[in-house]
Amino acid sequence: MNRILIIDDDEELCELVAEYLTVEGFETKAVHDGAAGLDSALSGDYDMAVLDVMLPKMNGFDVLRSLRSSSRLPVLMLTARGDDMERIVGLEIGADDYLPKPFNPRELVARLRAILRRSETAEASDRASDKVVVEDLELARSARTVRLSGDEIPLTSVEFDLLTELAAEAGKVVRKDDLSERVLERKLSPYDRSLDMHISNLRKKLGPRPDGSERIKTIRSVGYIYTVL
Amino acid sequence: MNLFFKIFLWFLAAVALMIGIVVFINWSVQTEPVMSRWRVSVHNQMNIYADTAGQIYDSEGEAGLKQFLDRIHDAETVSEVDLIDPEGRMWLGDGTTAGNYSDLVQRAFASNGVELDTSLPTTALAARPITFANGKSYALVVRWDRPRPVAIFGESQLRYLRLAGLLITALLVCYALAKYLSSPIGKIRQATQQLAEGNLTTRVADRIGRRHDELAKLARDFDLMAERIESLVTSQQRLLRDISHELRSPLARMNVALGIGKQKALPEVGQLFERIESEADRLNVMIGRLLTLSKLESGALDYEKEPVDLVEIVASVVDDADFEARPLGKNVNMRGDGSCIVDGNEPLLRSAVENVLRNAVRYTKEGSTVDVAVEHKDEKVTVSIEDHGGGVPEDELNNLFKPFYRIGEARERSTGGIGLGLAIADRAIAAHEGSISARNTRDGLKVVIGLRCASNGTRQKTSNQSNGGGARR
Repeated sequence: MNRILIIDDDEELCELVAEYLTVEGFETKAVHDGAAGLDSALSGDYDMAVLDVMLPKMNGFDVLRSLRSSSRLPVLMLTARGDDMERIVGLEIGADDYLPKPFNPRELVARLRAILRRSETAEASDRASDKVVVEDLELARSARTVRLSGDEIPLTSVEFDLLTELAAEAGKVVRKDDLSERVLERKLSPYDRSLDMHISNLRKKLGPRPDGSERIKTIRSVGYIYTVL
Repeated sequence: MNLFFKIFLWFLAAVALMIGIVVFINWSVQTEPVMSRWRVSVHNQMNIYADTAGQIYDSEGEAGLKQFLDRIHDAETVSEVDLIDPEGRMWLGDGTTAGNYSDLVQRAFASNGVELDTSLPTTALAARPITFANGKSYALVVRWDRPRPVAIFGESQLRYLRLAGLLITALLVCYALAKYLSSPIGKIRQATQQLAEGNLTTRVADRIGRRHDELAKLARDFDLMAERIESLVTSQQRLLRDISHELRSPLARMNVALGIGKQKALPEVGQLFERIESEADRLNVMIGRLLTLSKLESGALDYEKEPVDLVEIVASVVDDADFEARPLGKNVNMRGDGSCIVDGNEPLLRSAVENVLRNAVRYTKEGSTVDVAVEHKDEKVTVSIEDHGGGVPEDELNNLFKPFYRIGEARERSTGGIGLGLAIADRAIAAHEGSISARNTRDGLKVVIGLRCASNGTRQKTSNQSNGGGARR
């Protein structure tokens, strides 16, 4: 059974979410402020955290930033609807996914499952130890680490999976629908920008090639390509 | 005409009039009486001289007359004494150019009285005929010094300097006065314009300086008014934002509770739950838009600008919109490729284009196509989005971008809008110092977004495949 940590100051909402998630087969614990949330998240007792942005004592971004300095615990951010900046900031700091609040609980469960499945397959593929190497980029699927010219680049699990998909087919266009289904585990819906945002973060983290060319190129209305020289 | 110039010219005219009046008064109280008194005395003197000369000549002859004439000549104000016969010939006297006086002499003989010639600047000639006992007639011509009235600016070369000084002083004073009166009005006007443009923090009293007149009071009244407007507008915005914000929490709980309900519900109530869910979703969307709008309006949204490709943004929104439109029997077609780099915030620009485009898709007739065109010329790029939905009444065009504005209430509601999309687009484009406008075409509405291209121009791209209305991905 997966243990989910819910960090949200709305106690009633936490109770309802806990009840919903219990029916769906999750074990939950709720804390109501940022500082306590960070402590619990770092305790190692949980498989995943659902983190709200607006929190007393320490806001969600600060919690995430502190958490990411030492832990890869998958995090789903609850952002304010109508606030694009919040979700961009959240993904930039290292959230694995986001969900605008108010949300549909069914969607919450779908996303939780997707993220959990990914981290489980990551653990399962430990033995496979297969590496993907594209020029100066080196991906270790087992260790889920990325090295660029030898330097490790910290990526979130979504970013890692995206990069793996793209790098495995370097030089070929990977369609957005496929990326969405394989990495985010949901069908690409119109006006959903999360894939683009993850790619944009990935670009920022990897940076351009020494000659200034972009590593990941957008093929408009089709998908993305990890370019090879 | 400019108020400053009006005041300036009026004061200048007043000063000119004043100088004119002073000159006139000076002339009438000084120059003119002196001159007329002088005329009378010359008149009398000439009569006396002429009569006396006649008597002396009759009794003492030419020698006595000559002596008498010399005596006249001795007077301080007399510089020349002549006796001229009617033919203009000089008989006695020191003038040698008798011909010069012929006019005057003629006149004197004609009137048989004293005649004056005041055409010379410093002296005047007076003539009076004398008839002696022997029947001969002569004209007595005396050259008199003219009295000198005191000139206002004096007589020396300095008078031009004095006149110039007076004029320059008048000009400077008029200028200063006009400036003093008109500059606060200009400042108040400027502030009014700023307020009208939506800069509600505009205040003007500090700019006016230390004055205590009606203009300063006007400025303070303006500030009071601006303060009031500002607090009204901001409290309205805050109210809107707070309400939207507060609504989210119960809505979030409701959504989850609804989910639990669905988990436990019997199949027959499932449909009802679906309905509740779709209504809750609609509320969600509304609240999201309200929040976006209020953040855009209050400027609370801090966003970073970076070079983004507008064509790419439009193309991806077009893809999504086309995907959404196809099941409704509509489609979206895009014209224009290449790339156009704009210094902007991608989510904001995207939401602007998206709101306009989804609006167009909503209203365009079934079976019609929404045409999107991106054109860049020099520094400017325009995105035009044209639907075939019959357009809107001409006088409503300007209201399209106002929040909560509905052209046809029933129609709008049935299509699911709440009248915020275009308002959001308008504020988002305004945040990029761009322009957005709408106009009616033959059978629909055309919204044109204008933005400024980044100075570094177009970025080279390897892929610029434009896919308008084609198969989605």
